[in-house]
Amino acid sequence: MKRAIQQATLIVMAGIALGLAANAVSPKRIPYITPPKPAVVDQNLITLEAAKELWGTGAGFFLDARAPADYAAGHIALAFSLPVEAFDEHYNNVAPMLAPDTPVVAYCDGVECELSHRLADRLRGLGYKDVRVLVNGWTAWRTAGYQTNTGTQP
Amino acid sequence: MKWLPVIARLIVGGVFVVAGALKILDPGAFAVDVANFRMLPHPAVNLIAITLPWVELVAGVLMVIGVWSRGSALVITAMCVLFLIALTQALARGLDVRCGCFGTVEARKVGLTAIAQDVVLLAGAVWLLIRSDKTENGNET
Repeated sequence: MKRAIQQATLIVMAGIALGLAANAVSPKRIPYITPPKPAVVDQNLITLEAAKELWGTGAGFFLDARAPADYAAGHIALAFSLPVEAFDEHYNNVAPMLAPDTPVVAYCDGVECELSHRLADRLRGLGYKDVRVLVNGWTAWRTAGYQTNTGTQP
Repeated sequence: MKWLPVIARLIVGGVFVVAGALKILDPGAFAVDVANFRMLPHPAVNLIAITLPWVELVAGVLMVIGVWSRGSALVITAMCVLFLIALTQALARGLDVRCGCFGTVEARKVGLTAIAQDVVLLAGAVWLLIRSDKTENGNET
């Protein structure tokens, strides 16, 4: 058995050496250390830059998922209020302006804030196809110095 | 019954030669298969995908030509055990992954067929290992 182990060790070492050498010259070589996986692109989110660009084109429809009082205290300019806590009550205020393929950006405030995600889910459930969440939207937008507004109007 | 060990060597060794060679043809695809088994830390996946098929190939060739029978039988036994663990854990975890056993020429999923095949190879390799070890202790060449 000792001999078998000696031979086996040499076979494994030879295989490893051949593999490493062959990969160096192979046209199908792959990196020796696996490259990190590309970050998963979450189609349900939008970056601040992309949101700003969409806002600039005027094609995007921004929806504030927070309570009306928070919206009145300050919101992304041209964003409409659709507090998800009272969705049924407020939905009709924005429904006439929304087509199923309108690019919609939902936001609230804080990285952990779930209101925007809940709003996005509700809208997707109603058949809107292009709904994305701007995470930490209000703070991100405001600190970037982009245009904001106060009061009950967009 | 002198021919039986020869046939066993040709089959078990041959399967490893083919399996190794097919994986070597497409290391990128094999790396994906290795990663899908979710047994290794991510950075180590490619190293295994680069080297394992060559160990299969070398051990398979040696077994077929009957050189270093004990060593090649031991390596192949160990690899069969390793593959058995990989297949079983994938099946137990419900991973719906391609076996990758023979590179990309077969799109077979991990399942009982692959495990059964591995067990047959394992039995053959163990038998050859025990036999070659006995030969070593006896006076046969």
